[in-house]
Amino acid sequence: MPMYYFNLNDDETVVDTDGTDLPDVGAARIHATGVARELTSNGGGILTQSWSGWTMSVQDAHGTELFSLTMSDFGDGDPEK
Amino acid sequence: MPANTLALLEPDLREVSLEQGAVLLEPGELIENIYFPLTGLISLLVIGKDGNFIETSTVGREGAVGLHSGLGKRRSFTRASAQIGGKFSTIRAARFEHVANGSAPIRDVILRYTEVLWAQTQQIAACNAMHGASARLCRWLLQSADRIGSDEVRLTQEFLAQMLGARRTTVTLLAQRMQATGLIRYRRGRIVILDRKGLEACACECYHVMHDEKLPRALGVNL
Repeated sequence: MPMYYFNLNDDETVVDTDGTDLPDVGAARIHATGVARELTSNGGGILTQSWSGWTMSVQDAHGTELFSLTMSDFGDGDPEK
Repeated sequence: MPANTLALLEPDLREVSLEQGAVLLEPGELIENIYFPLTGLISLLVIGKDGNFIETSTVGREGAVGLHSGLGKRRSFTRASAQIGGKFSTIRAARFEHVANGSAPIRDVILRYTEVLWAQTQQIAACNAMHGASARLCRWLLQSADRIGSDEVRLTQEFLAQMLGARRTTVTLLAQRMQATGLIRYRRGRIVILDRKGLEACACECYHVMHDEKLPRALGVNL
């Protein structure tokens, strides 16, 4: 199965050093959505105070971007929530 | 446990070592042995139909796995597995029940500890629902480090992700940021806590609420 990498970008990049084995891009999209939900639910924690401006760039093993997600679509990262 | 109570059990206790990940009980299994952690930590895990699981309680040196079987034969509701390997004292459940039958102080300890475990389970249920992966990850690392009395915790991100009920990618991204900001150092299955104060600031309040010695005190329970 091909490897997919789920990097976060704001002013800087948080690199997914490990990657994940998944059957195809469709599965990568489902995985990306799940990770985005987990990261944004109940605040941004150590990653951010606010998700505005953040994207998740999903790449293949060659570093080619396949698609990206807007993190604020999943949560606003309000630390009080 | 009071020394004279412990003395009743002493002849039947054996010391064993368990590796991280060792499974002591599966859901529905009859409890045949009781384990008292001396250095390690046991996770109680609820298993989903898809095989995924999430931690709903931990048992450290303040308690024991299967202690309530001292009141009679019991089955485990959860999987119990060693979250942190170490040394454990173990006794056959039938033998423990026999001793407990003749000892009001032991039965009292069983009930008190069951209250503590019940309170902890409520806190973790709330934590899993209310707190984000980031805060729970920080809480978990601090808790684990406390239990083993070292700032170096041996575990993989895969394992961490399972305990937190999160995807491994989520844990990888959080760990990368924690490393970049100097909270931890992560290398080949080892996490070293570099900035404990910083980690405490990022952890949810559950860390302070559930601190193993503090929880019984807060409940007015003298174990």
